[in-house]
Amino acid sequence: MRIAVLLSAGRHPVSGTPVLPRLEAQAVRLAAGLGEAVGLHAGPDAAAVADALGQGLGRIEHLHLAEGADPVPALAARLGTLAPDLVLAGRRGQGGPESGMVPYALAEALNLPLIPDVVAGSAGEGTLRLDQSLGRGALRRLVVRGPVVVTVHPDAPAPLAYAYGRARRGTVEAVTPAPAAASVPEIAVEERPYRRRPKLVKGAPAGGSAAERLKAATGESGAVASGRVLVEPDPEDAAREILAYLRQIGVLAPPAAPGDR
Amino acid sequence: MSRPRRDPRAERASRQVASAAGEAARPRYDRTARRGAGRPRRDPRAEHERRRLAGGSRPRYDLGQVAPPEGVPSTEARPRPAAETASKILVLEAPAFLVAAVPDAAGGRLSAHDRQVLGAARALAGREGGVAVLTLGPCEGCGGAGADRLIQIEGQAEVYDPAGRAARIAAALAALAPRHVLFPESLDGGDLARRVAVRMGAPLFGNAEVVAAGGLIRPARGRRVEQRAAPGLLATVAPDAVADYAGPPREARPLAVEADGMAGRDTRPAPILAATRVPADPATVPLALAEFVTAAGNGLHDLDTFRQLVAALRATPGASRVLCDAGLMPRHAQVGASGTVLAATCYFALGISGAPQHLQGVAGCEHVVAVNTDLHAAMIERAGLAIVQDAQAVMPALLRLLAQEAGGRGGVS
Ligand SMILES: Cc1cc2nc3c(=O)[nH]c(=O)nc-3n(C[C@H](O)[C@H](O)[C@H](O)COP(=O)(O)OP(=O)(O)OC[C@H]3O[C@@H](n4cnc5c(N)ncnc54)[C@H](O)[C@@H]3O)c2cc1C
Repeated sequence: MRIAVLLSAGRHPVSGTPVLPRLEAQAVRLAAGLGEAVGLHAGPDAAAVADALGQGLGRIEHLHLAEGADPVPALAARLGTLAPDLVLAGRRGQGGPESGMVPYALAEALNLPLIPDVVAGSAGEGTLRLDQSLGRGALRRLVVRGPVVVTVHPDAPAPLAYAYGRARRGTVEAVTPAPAAASVPEIAVEERPYRRRPKLVKGAPAGGSAAERLKAATGESGAVASGRVLVEPDPEDAAREILAYLRQIGVLAPPAAPGDR
Repeated sequence: MSRPRRDPRAERASRQVASAAGEAARPRYDRTARRGAGRPRRDPRAEHERRRLAGGSRPRYDLGQVAPPEGVPSTEARPRPAAETASKILVLEAPAFLVAAVPDAAGGRLSAHDRQVLGAARALAGREGGVAVLTLGPCEGCGGAGADRLIQIEGQAEVYDPAGRAARIAAALAALAPRHVLFPESLDGGDLARRVAVRMGAPLFGNAEVVAAGGLIRPARGRRVEQRAAPGLLATVAPDAVADYAGPPREARPLAVEADGMAGRDTRPAPILAATRVPADPATVPLALAEFVTAAGNGLHDLDTFRQLVAALRATPGASRVLCDAGLMPRHAQVGASGTVLAATCYFALGISGAPQHLQGVAGCEHVVAVNTDLHAAMIERAGLAIVQDAQAVMPALLRLLAQEAGGRGGVS
């Protein structure tokens, strides 16, 4: 299976130095378990993404673009000629605008289906089995017919360890991109330093006193405060009440009819 | 950024009072009019008077932190009959424009994040605009969350077909022509928003943390900068950033939209051959992610029964610090300030007193069930269903009941 991994010029979330985003290193690991992979980077400089060579990629193609140019048309043109069976990307960039639009724009340009938030994959006969994260540890197991564009979720297995020898052996090839116009219109934004905003405390009164805010933070007020109290019930009754309550809020499956479990 | 320079001469001239022709010699000015810019001057006496409670011969004042809104006399503001305002449904007959919200609505129910998105949509709609909720399949509780219109697009919500879903939503949006469209920045909502954006060829403002008519703000470049833009057509709203709608319930009138969802259908064979849901294994899912946590405290001594109960309820086990310190439960099971802060939907506490450090870990849980012998325990006060009973007796009863339901055998403990 031929795989293309999209690599972006990321920045470290704390130090701001150029790095390969973790999600893309995880994508490289997924690719390494599936077949032969080539990295694809469009941008002014490929120094940061060269880390991916040490983490399991053999070859990276670098499409040279001017700073700030839209990478989608160049990537789409190159992927059109490579025609891989699987395109892997991170679900969001890191250090750039972090809009997460590139995989979607690419899938649209290439007219391929897109499967988001994948944590594991394995190849079948002409098909791919992908595990998609649904959050909270739940998965959706999909069988898809390729070629597809897949984005990787942070719950995917951790990246492979960086190996210096592998990084030395790998190559970065410069490829001249096909000239193209920008695809999706940009939004005009005004930038300023980030300001942290207080997280919402559920049920906290606007402008309440400190005591009221603390009560809201520990959940002692609000809807739950008006709960039901059963004093010294029969244990069997108590058990019935508890199960009914758990079923009403939907965390416990309703009693199964005999045979379907 | 800079404010306009003031011109005191012009300001003074604008306040000059036109006088009779005879006395033109002496200019006169009206100094009572408030200046256009700047915040209004406070009037502490009037503020104090507004806090006065109605009735009674002796003057009494409400010195709480929340100041009553200006101009509202205390007499009718204070003893507001709750039932009257609650039952009144706000009806918007002809909204000037629509703000659409597309909630995830998993299982036909609005999630907390969905409600925040509706709150954000309500903030964008303001007084004249209406909020329209677009869902695939039925969805309950939209009116209370601030929806004026409810648009139900037919289609099976259970079948996993994200591209088809995006196509139907995009077609409905094209027919509805709302001014803004908001999605939750969740796994499903963020995916749908991006698909709709590339389909409609419109830019998407992702992960907005501030939503107001004046502008949307999102973090970028690893939260080093924030980007501000005027509200465009499409945006997604970050979780826990925008408050829910808090006003009176709205009508959520069903609205039919004729969308030709078939026109945009592509003719390729469906790429997704099969989709099955694999639920999380409650025994191995990290405590911070667990949906349903059952926890033991110092009031329990029979931990074997507790483990059986946890397995039978398909819950994730937790514990208070006392048990973890004693080595009876693993440290990673500790709930609380120095353990794990839960994001569970339901927390079931057995024999836990509810120390403040413990309750901090439970603060985010929507539902709490507590079993404790002490009626005055803080956990009993926090719980939505509180049982004042010996947990050692309740656990076997629960196990018996669950076994009875499962196999009709009963009597297993
Ligand atoms: C700095 C600091 C950090 C801490 N962090 C945490 C933390 O992260 N998490 C945490 O949990 N604690 C934490 N603690 C400890 C916390 O203060 C409490 O000591 C602890 O939570 C109490 O645990 P408990 O409720 O299990 O035990 P207890 O306080 O002993 O309560 C036992 C409860 O069980 C009831 N009971 C007794 N017998 C029965 C029975 N047969 N059936 C039913 N109920 C019964 C009793 O009425 C009582 O309410 C911290 C303390 C400090 C100082």
